Amino acid sequence: MMELLAQTGLNAVYAASYISLVAVGLVLIFGVMGVVNFAHGELFMAGAYAIVALYADMHLPFFIAVPIGMLFVGLLGLVMEWGLFRPLKDNPLGGLVASIGFLMILQSLAVMGFGVRMEHIPPVTQEVVRFTDKVGLPVARLYVIVAAVVLLGALWYFLKRTRFGWALRASAQDPEAAALQGISITQTARIAMFIGAALAGVAGALTAPLVSVNPHMGHSVIVTAFIVIIVGGVGSLEGAIVASVVYAFVHTFVTTFWDGVLADIVGLMLMLVVLIVKPTGLFGSADRA
Amino acid sequence: MLSKFTASGFTRRTFLKTSAAATAALGLPKMALAAGEPIKIGFLAPLTGAVAAWGKPGLDGCEIWAERVNAAGGITLSDGAHPVEFVAYDNEYDPAKARTGATKLIREDGVSFIMMLGGDTWPGVQPVAERTGMLFSTLLPSDLSPDTTTLLAPAEVHPIYNVTGVEWLAQNKPELKTAVMCAQDDALGLPSVATYLAAFEAAGIEMLDEPLLFDPSTTDFAPVVTRLLAKNPDIICLDTCYSDYVHPIAEQLFQQNFGGQIISCTADFYDQMIAKTSKDFMEGFIFQFPDFDDPALNADTVNFDDPNGFYAEYNKRHPGQWGAVSWEYASIMDLWKAAAEKAGSADPDAVIAAMQEGPGNHAFGDAEWWGEELFGINNALVGDWPVVAIENGKATIKEFRSIPDWYNRHGDLLIKHMQDYGQMWDQRS
Repeated sequence: MMELLAQTGLNAVYAASYISLVAVGLVLIFGVMGVVNFAHGELFMAGAYAIVALYADMHLPFFIAVPIGMLFVGLLGLVMEWGLFRPLKDNPLGGLVASIGFLMILQSLAVMGFGVRMEHIPPVTQEVVRFTDKVGLPVARLYVIVAAVVLLGALWYFLKRTRFGWALRASAQDPEAAALQGISITQTARIAMFIGAALAGVAGALTAPLVSVNPHMGHSVIVTAFIVIIVGGVGSLEGAIVASVVYAFVHTFVTTFWDGVLADIVGLMLMLVVLIVKPTGLFGSADRA
Repeated sequence: MLSKFTASGFTRRTFLKTSAAATAALGLPKMALAAGEPIKIGFLAPLTGAVAAWGKPGLDGCEIWAERVNAAGGITLSDGAHPVEFVAYDNEYDPAKARTGATKLIREDGVSFIMMLGGDTWPGVQPVAERTGMLFSTLLPSDLSPDTTTLLAPAEVHPIYNVTGVEWLAQNKPELKTAVMCAQDDALGLPSVATYLAAFEAAGIEMLDEPLLFDPSTTDFAPVVTRLLAKNPDIICLDTCYSDYVHPIAEQLFQQNFGGQIISCTADFYDQMIAKTSKDFMEGFIFQFPDFDDPALNADTVNFDDPNGFYAEYNKRHPGQWGAVSWEYASIMDLWKAAAEKAGSADPDAVIAAMQEGPGNHAFGDAEWWGEELFGINNALVGDWPVVAIENGKATIKEFRSIPDWYNRHGDLLIKHMQDYGQMWDQRS
């Protein structure tokens, strides 16, 4: 039983890592720009396809392909900010609808570029850190965990300790007051969109060799991310991280000890309970970032 | 037809239904073809989306089939030879889109026959089939019911053929005594779960746990595999999981140190699974769909025309894309062509009558129209099915085994488990 608990715990840590990368990006975009980015799952997908193109097809080393993929998806985020969200900045519903349209465009581009079938990505490594015969952590999963800790730590430092980060948080808390202090709202929106998209992209890129890469893979990711940010508190980065951990552990343990269908129901129940008990989410408050 | 009425009683309700169907049929485009006019066949399957792997490769196979048939003179009906062409409609595995597609193929394209994957999309199409009397085929006989007499399952009796793999395993590896199973919770997964449970029970293999069901949107299979391994089974059964699931599950089994037997309905793109795991790990993996370059398919009993040549041509055009359904829709067309030529007509009623006149020439050998106990109607073509094992990195047919023989011995078990999972035709809503 201890081995089963330990293996399940390791599975949950991995799940929490990639979910938190996606959810934090989504929260950052919402916090600064006030836009619900429905195409966020497709940015995750774009990161995975970057690995298909760069690592599987062009045979670039994985650890070169991942940052390029991250940068590429970050740039996609800038295109979204410039082409969709900035023209619709006074119309939050318009931004949401535009993001749904962009989601479909990205899916169609993936189908046109790579076909409808799942892509084969050679394993980055088959090494497993083995604790006992029945408890192990594949090194490819360890990469995701380490990357999540490093990137989210860097983001925390950026937001709390740098002038750009302060500007970003100020824009999220009160855009008008921030603008009166000389902070460029457009510039902060651009930075938030780049970082948010890049986080989704790197999550997709790092997990690409571990999942089935297909044009529709973003769907389940965005559903999970929405549950997480509602549980954590819409707009709260700390909440997104804590909720990612809670959701990942609940979902993984319920799947392992009961079944996967029940785990999805329990995940939704978790969201409902939080909405009833604390409608603003675990960390929800006026201070959005 | 008259005997059918007298057997069941020609009620007012029957009269009204028949009249309505006849009226609707009169409104259909004329089925008769001008001399030399192409016969159009509808291909209504998922060509995009998560289930596209069980649609698109079938269309690719049909295109090769059509070229071969047209090069040989086409399909000969009573009014002469006709070329054949396929009209595809992507239903994205969505019932509403499937219904729109069926209507469009019948009314606008004037197709003579529609091939489908079936499953979740069939309920959308069923009213169209009942209203128009169009002949449809499905790869999933669990779609069959007495309500729709023009729906046939002539290629595969999914999931019933899965019993052959378990039976072969029990006879050839008797040391394997215990099993666990996982499946996605959908119209493909659940009847297959019931079938595997019946097959394991019939083979005397103990199930150590309830089948572990997961949501079709699952992407991380580590928790699923951890649960499967917790009971230390000899066999892990992957049911009829889509290849998007089979691959990551196999990879997880490898990473979590499983060293036992794996059995699965399909192993599409198994070369990629070997690349993600190892040749040793995949050795002995049992499934049900052969590569068509297998020498065993050259036996006289096999009815598929030139399987090795078909496989070579397919791989030349679509390298690395061969999958479970690449040949199946083409094999249905073999049956349809033979029946249409026998009837001298592409009319659905005439083709069905000709097709069901005696045993059918199934791809893997002569077979019988069967299924009344399970599906309420004898519209599934059932005979032998191959058991395939990966040996030295290559799919190899180990044996053809008879599905009807197994059913005659263990049919009660299958019905019991199908009932438990609400999968009998009269339990489906």
